[in-house]
Amino acid sequence: MKWKKLGMLFDGNKYGFYYTKSPQAIVFDEYVRIYFSTCQKDNNKLISDVAYVDYSRDLKKVLRISNGQVIERGALGCYDEHGIFPFSPMRFEDKIYGYISGWTRRTSVSVDTGIGLALSNDGGNTFTRLGNGPVLTASLQEPFLIIDGYVKKIMTDFHIWYIYGVEWQLFNGGAEPDRVYKIGHATSKDGINWIKEGKQIIEDKLENEAQALPCVIEFDNRYHMFFCYRYANDFKNNHNRSYRIGYAYSDDLLNWVRDDDNAGITVSKDGWDSEMICYPNVFELDNSIYMLYNGNCFGKDGFGLAKLER
Amino acid sequence: MLKWIKKGIIFNPEQDPNRPAWRWNYAQGQNVLIYDDFIRVYFCSREIPNEKGQTVSRVSYVDLDKNNLMNRLKISDNAVLELGKTGTFDEFGTYPFSVMRVGSLIYGYFGGVTRCESVPFNASIGCAISKDNGETFQKLGPGPVLTHSLDEPFVVCSPKIRKFGDQWVLYYSAGIKWVKNNDNSGAEICYKLKMALSEDGVNWTKLNKNLLPDKLGELESQACGDVIYKNGKYHMFYCYRQNTDFRHNKDNSYRIGYAYSFDFKEWIRNDDYVGITVSSDDHDWDSEMVAYPNVFEMNNKIYMLYLGNEVGKHGFGLAELEGELL
Repeated sequence: MKWKKLGMLFDGNKYGFYYTKSPQAIVFDEYVRIYFSTCQKDNNKLISDVAYVDYSRDLKKVLRISNGQVIERGALGCYDEHGIFPFSPMRFEDKIYGYISGWTRRTSVSVDTGIGLALSNDGGNTFTRLGNGPVLTASLQEPFLIIDGYVKKIMTDFHIWYIYGVEWQLFNGGAEPDRVYKIGHATSKDGINWIKEGKQIIEDKLENEAQALPCVIEFDNRYHMFFCYRYANDFKNNHNRSYRIGYAYSDDLLNWVRDDDNAGITVSKDGWDSEMICYPNVFELDNSIYMLYNGNCFGKDGFGLAKLER
Repeated sequence: MLKWIKKGIIFNPEQDPNRPAWRWNYAQGQNVLIYDDFIRVYFCSREIPNEKGQTVSRVSYVDLDKNNLMNRLKISDNAVLELGKTGTFDEFGTYPFSVMRVGSLIYGYFGGVTRCESVPFNASIGCAISKDNGETFQKLGPGPVLTHSLDEPFVVCSPKIRKFGDQWVLYYSAGIKWVKNNDNSGAEICYKLKMALSEDGVNWTKLNKNLLPDKLGELESQACGDVIYKNGKYHMFYCYRQNTDFRHNKDNSYRIGYAYSFDFKEWIRNDDYVGITVSSDDHDWDSEMVAYPNVFEMNNKIYMLYLGNEVGKHGFGLAELEGELL
């Protein structure tokens, strides 16, 4: 794989956004809509809401930016009360399915999360939840931190790739527990009721590795997964331990071969994506494959674009 | 109407001056398991609260003499179930605890409690198995077996495990709304009685419906759906209360209700039939509320263990049914 970086596509600061995290594209006839999560300060914490920017199909011109929240935060006590990050759109029939990664705050650990679903009947301008609860959440062997759902319908089944927590660990020198999470997979007939495969599908590369934000695309008769990974602790300021983009491939959607050396994209020598590179979203547009991604500080300043060079 | 003869409090952990700090007070979420020579009552007790007033609930048991339930034979030295690890659903408590024999094993279902920032807690239901005849229970995994879903977004709690033929049945409660107090002092949970079915006790399918019509309005809370099959009917005893001001206002507090069913799924509510309510003597232990019933049959008699004022802070009591459970 070889990606050509096209630089920062969307500089959120210019539009008044504080953080533009986890850009996720959906292609319309006349434009490309990119959802992202933007933050507000909430006492000493951040809280995320969903916004979008529409680009011309050549990805050169901003056509419009969403007004207000695309979807409200969850109600008191719900899994998504304290923000939505990321938000993953999928077109199916005449609707857009918006998979919500919802955050709720805890006391002994910072958060728990779950994946919910909201539908849009107006082309993705507004979304209505199917219910106040999640569609994918904790289970016997995946006890917490279900998040980062990415959904595709492939033949008869819907597939969701997501992450689940395996441990909150207090590392040496850590002020509070850090999370360790892995990529999992579930299938569904309706996009709502899921059956978990119940195993980690991407093997570890690092000790105490955190794996995040899988996305899957099919081209050249193979399924390709891009995701990001980092060390579980000391990753915020230590750039050697922060996010990199990983890669795996599969021919059957069951067995994945991790091949990070072939990801074809990494941090730059300097600039906005020199310290970390994370939250990849890969999509096809006019016979080209593009990747949206975040750089330093988890997308504080904007998101970038890269194009696959075959 | 049924007629229950109240026998008074039969167990109060506070009466033991040498009790461990983790079993400081409360005996709630109690459920019976019948052995050949005695009956065991699993119950949940609270540790001494911390500086924020928070506590943790753990499961232990007391064994009672079958021929005289007022006669206590043994109290467990330790909790029978460990709390969950950091970040898990049951890190801050295991309450209530419902048990059932399956062959040589005992299955225990418990409400796991965790603490949240905007609301005081959340809950999901876990499962643990005992291979040593009920002395200790080992969890099937670090996560829950029944938890939040589209229409049951939080506080999935109050499990009661049953098996009718090959059909595993879990009665439980699910939160539908956190209602903020008028004085902004927090929020109270409103939950409804629900049920789920399973073939193996581990993988559950929710029925996704309220089992009972509301009697106290749409914010009525319902818990502890305790079901016993007798005389061709399924009988359910449970408790219900108003959503607000139920801790100190006797009129808004828990009462025990009754419903019956011929198929254990469709229920007809008939609270007037239950035959047990608060004591009219203000000095009695159950003068403000009666709650969390567990009904069982032993030696051809029907008994009920239940909680009184302050939901079991001072222990649980016993009542005996006079006549048949029809």
